[in-house]
Amino acid sequence: MTSLNLNIEEGSIVVLIGPSGCGKTTTLRMINRLIEPTSGRIEINGKDVTHGPVAELRREIGYVIQQVGLFPHQTIAGNIATVPKMLGWEKQRVSDRIDELADLVGLEPSLLDRYPDELSGGQQQRVGVARALAADPPVLLMDEPFGAVDPIVRTRLQDELLELQARVGKTIVLVTHDIDEALKVADRIALLNVGGILEQYSPADELLAEPANQFVEEFVGEDRSVKRLQLRTVADIPFHRGPVVAATDGVATARSIMREYSSEWVGVTSQNVFLGWVHGEDLQDGLPLESAPRSVPAAQVQPGSTLRNAMQIIMTSHTSAAVIDNGGLFGGVVTLELIRASLEAETGP
Amino acid sequence: MLLGQAPVPRDIGVFEWLFDPNSWTGPDGILVSLANTVILCAVVVVVAIVTMVPLASWLAHTRRGEVSVSWTVTLSRAIPTFAVAGLLVPISLRSGWGFEPWPIFIALLLLALPPIFLNTYTAIQQVDPGVVDASRAMGYSETSVLVRVELALATSVMLAGVRVAAVTVVATEPIRAFLGGDGLGRYVRDGLGQNNDALVIAGAMLIAGLAGLTALSFRLVERFALPDGVRRLATTTTR
Amino acid sequence: MIPLFGQAPNPIVRWEYFIDEWDQIQRALIEHLELTVYAVTLGLVVSAGLSAIALRFRRTAAPINGVTAFLYTIPSVALFGILVPYFGLSRLSAVLPLAAYTLLILVTNIVAGFNSVSPEVREAADGMGMTPARRILHVELPLAMPYIVTGLRIAVVSTVGLVTVAAIIGQGGLGRLILDGLRRAFWTPMTIGAVLSILLALALDGLILGAGKWLTPWAQRGRSAL
Repeated sequence: MTSLNLNIEEGSIVVLIGPSGCGKTTTLRMINRLIEPTSGRIEINGKDVTHGPVAELRREIGYVIQQVGLFPHQTIAGNIATVPKMLGWEKQRVSDRIDELADLVGLEPSLLDRYPDELSGGQQQRVGVARALAADPPVLLMDEPFGAVDPIVRTRLQDELLELQARVGKTIVLVTHDIDEALKVADRIALLNVGGILEQYSPADELLAEPANQFVEEFVGEDRSVKRLQLRTVADIPFHRGPVVAATDGVATARSIMREYSSEWVGVTSQNVFLGWVHGEDLQDGLPLESAPRSVPAAQVQPGSTLRNAMQIIMTSHTSAAVIDNGGLFGGVVTLELIRASLEAETGP
Repeated sequence: MLLGQAPVPRDIGVFEWLFDPNSWTGPDGILVSLANTVILCAVVVVVAIVTMVPLASWLAHTRRGEVSVSWTVTLSRAIPTFAVAGLLVPISLRSGWGFEPWPIFIALLLLALPPIFLNTYTAIQQVDPGVVDASRAMGYSETSVLVRVELALATSVMLAGVRVAAVTVVATEPIRAFLGGDGLGRYVRDGLGQNNDALVIAGAMLIAGLAGLTALSFRLVERFALPDGVRRLATTTTR
Repeated sequence: MIPLFGQAPNPIVRWEYFIDEWDQIQRALIEHLELTVYAVTLGLVVSAGLSAIALRFRRTAAPINGVTAFLYTIPSVALFGILVPYFGLSRLSAVLPLAAYTLLILVTNIVAGFNSVSPEVREAADGMGMTPARRILHVELPLAMPYIVTGLRIAVVSTVGLVTVAAIIGQGGLGRLILDGLRRAFWTPMTIGAVLSILLALALDGLILGAGKWLTPWAQRGRSAL
């Protein structure tokens, strides 16, 4: 491997990804010195840990592998307690910590006295994470942690990892071969090429919007614009009212708004709750807007929906717009044009 | 006390005795004892083959008897042959059958049955079911399938089982001399009784030699007498 | 028919013998037990060493297996006999061959046991910061236990059987009763010696089996499918 220089910010999730032979796993295992680097330095929190007692170093770093490697001869509780016991914690502290971790990773307490072979793949993975976090290490290394479970469980574990990180804020280095997984969980992605060459090291959106070279472009895939849509939510788009009026505004206002937007439809709200879309032909002068026949249900999205979801919903709606439902209240409108415009804006945070 | 005196062995005596033609001839000679040993062991092995091979192949072919396999494994380890033979002597005598050869014969037979049974069973079991199916499909009768196909393919593993049985029997047969019988063990017995170290050593060498020769002969047969394709299928299941 | 008990002049078992000679029987039993324990312990120690070498230096595995297998094939009468001129009719002449016969099964099983530990378990242990010593003692050894216990069972049971043969050099424990009875044409001790040695083998087998189960609680429940 060629030399590698990587600076990982505390409390962030960095994903190492690349084709086979790029050395992503090797790099990961050099951090806790399961593979000793032939030259160079590893620094954690400013301290040089390249030399010195290796067992002690590893007790300060959490390590999760794909097949988990739970000890078959110990209960789940025993497995989790491994490092704390090595560090000499008293029984009560260990026991409390186990309960805490079970809650943190979403493990039912009844499983604590079972043995690993009694658990499902997803549960075993959770135990692996709990075991790695047991002694509360500042750094967590994960080598393809979700590769051995089925896609449904994998998605759930990815979500749980993000929730976990929100609660504990560890510095996490994760290796994966799945670009979608990387895009989903990473704060920054380090894309490595064969031989350990670092091609790009940047946040997910930047990787997609501004690939550094052709290799990166090909690796992230041709549909990178669509992938970017998954990274942003509806809330990222500035508020846009669209052809929507309050019921009290009257038919005339409705007609003029429709002309302004060149829209066949007008949306009607009452007390800021969206009632539905009304077609221009159904507007009758002199009749209140509420009584006009409305098209419901309207295509709706949440502020937290990804732009990709929004795009999908808009495509299936006959009004070419989706209504943002902000806790029951009208939150604006989303159109394809708005989505496209947001991609052209500066790349995300 | 763990240590006894260590007398100086009289090696010169050992080889002198072994190479003296007189030691070999005569009613007490090596040839007679050798014959006694070989005959008993051969009969034991043949009886074991004749009883176990049909039984094991039938069980394996019809896919029954999984339980019997694990039973055999456990039991075969637990048999203290000397004790069994010793137990059979009084019983045999009381029944008017004398103290030779039934007790030792039965005890040795019990030793020979497990390896032959186990190897035959697993050998037939391991035969590629695809080949068996193909032969059935081609119209072989069940017996033909068993004999022509399964047994033929299983031969090398079975032969290994027979080898193990034969070597074990030959190696254990010497206790016969201590139960009032004859055989190569008698020289160790006599040597111990007369305090004749050379005789003891010579006897031990004869016994070990025969056991080694038995093992070697079987291995040679396995190597050269089987068609190549069959031989390569062999993986010994017991040692 | 065979009268098994009773006052006939030479029955299979004369019960008075059993009561009168209880001392002798007891001594034979204890001697048998002692020889078994010495031999298996010695065998275990040597096997542990050989296994460590075979596991650490992979290329020695085959030669070590070859040597232990070769020792196993030497007929017992021959091996006991050969030792007598050098060590006399002593316990050593009995214990050494008995220990030698256990090597094959013990080394095979110890090596198999340690080889059965999945590589990811070892990697996880290293990654968590276990020193190699701790990993071997706390992780690999417990996981190798089922194999080691099986090997011990087989070794103990076959040693009990072979100790009876050692009677030919005067160190046989219960085997001495058998030979004694044969010499005196007195069947009771023969029967008792034989039956007791079989019972002893079964008892020790059960004992080790029980100890093994107690040591490996995780291997006891049926696997549950989830």
